[in-house]
Amino acid sequence: MDLSSIIMLMQTAMAQAAEQLPEATSAITGDDIRLAGAMLGAGMCMGFGAIGPGIGQGFAAGKACEAIGRSPENAGLLTRTMLMGQAVSETTGIYSLVVAFLILFVLS
Amino acid sequence: MDLDPHIIELIGRYLGAGVALGFGGIGAAVGMGLAAGNADEGIMRQPETQSQMVRTMLIGQAVGGSPSIFALVIGLMILFVPSASLSGTETTMVAGLIAAGIAIGLGCFGSGLGCGWPAAAGCSGVARNPRHASRITQAMIIGQAVAQSPSIFAAVIALVLLFVNFAPGAAEWAIVGIAIGAGIAMGAGGLGPGLGSGVTAGGAISGLSLWPQTYGTTVRTMLIGQAVAQTPAIFGLLIAFIMMFAMQDIGDGIIGFARAVAAGVAVGFGGIGPGIGSGIAAERGCSASAARPRIEALVLRTMLIGQAVSQSTAIYSLIIALIILYVL
Repeated sequence: MDLSSIIMLMQTAMAQAAEQLPEATSAITGDDIRLAGAMLGAGMCMGFGAIGPGIGQGFAAGKACEAIGRSPENAGLLTRTMLMGQAVSETTGIYSLVVAFLILFVLS
Repeated sequence: MDLDPHIIELIGRYLGAGVALGFGGIGAAVGMGLAAGNADEGIMRQPETQSQMVRTMLIGQAVGGSPSIFALVIGLMILFVPSASLSGTETTMVAGLIAAGIAIGLGCFGSGLGCGWPAAAGCSGVARNPRHASRITQAMIIGQAVAQSPSIFAAVIALVLLFVNFAPGAAEWAIVGIAIGAGIAMGAGGLGPGLGSGVTAGGAISGLSLWPQTYGTTVRTMLIGQAVAQTPAIFGLLIAFIMMFAMQDIGDGIIGFARAVAAGVAVGFGGIGPGIGSGIAAERGCSASAARPRIEALVLRTMLIGQAVSQSTAIYSLIIALIILYVL
């Protein structure tokens, strides 16, 4: 079988597929795919984005508890430092939230 | 390519059981190994505590092994329950089989590892303080029981996915999405809380072995910390039940599928970090309140503030999941 006949076979197969395609997938439009992709993207964005801040803030809180156990008289200072550290650790979580909102409400 | 429906069903059964046992076995195996390692170390240091140590180790391993037994039972159900007694049509039944495997596999991974943590801490504690072995063992069992609850939630969701006709009236592909989404929401959502509550219990038991007279204070702090660490698992359970039984119209075809899977991924994976993080915070809180019970209130306050901040990303995930389900 030479090259031209293979190309011809492929062309007929593609033409047949193109004829069948609209019937098989007529229910799905481009907007549907776009919305579905937006929802999946936002879900993954927030879901995976929440892992890091959660663990990081827990570390900070744990160390603060440990330190307060050792020197309770500095509790105010330690709690303040803990909250400041956690706020910085929170930023990536907020980035995820903002990007998820952007995907859901601005881009979709 | 047309596949025989029977072959598709078999693929679903093999995949579901493989995920269930593959992931469900990891946590418990590592946890029991940790316990055995610490018991060996303890016997090496204090050979006269051998009989007490073996008892504590075996109790800890027996309780810590139960998540893997849940996974085994559900895995055998996925493999062998006749298709006539499973719910759904041919397609949705296969989705239910795979989703049940995801739910129980990931859910038991976290709980299994989480139950091993207190068992390991208990063995070290008995070596350190053999006179108070019974008290240490008691606290270990309480901590393990709480760490186990995500695996029980996961077993409930897996059984619902297998046997209950959920989401009546939804389109076929939407039901497939709901099954996969509910499986991820509960499975991944239970992973962090299971591990986190176990880490908390480990910290409490280590503290208790140094200061056994503070039993009441330490166990109280441990239970409060574990309860907060469990919240992401409850969010996962909530979203799974909402998708299966409370959604009026989740959408047709690809929209319904994507909506359910996206909500499940958001709330499921979003719960891993907060669950582990709150557990670490409570671990240190337990050690501190065991060492100095007089400042328990101060430690508890700091611990709860820290845990609340650590939970914030789980709440963001819940909000995004609810927006995906109800607003869009």
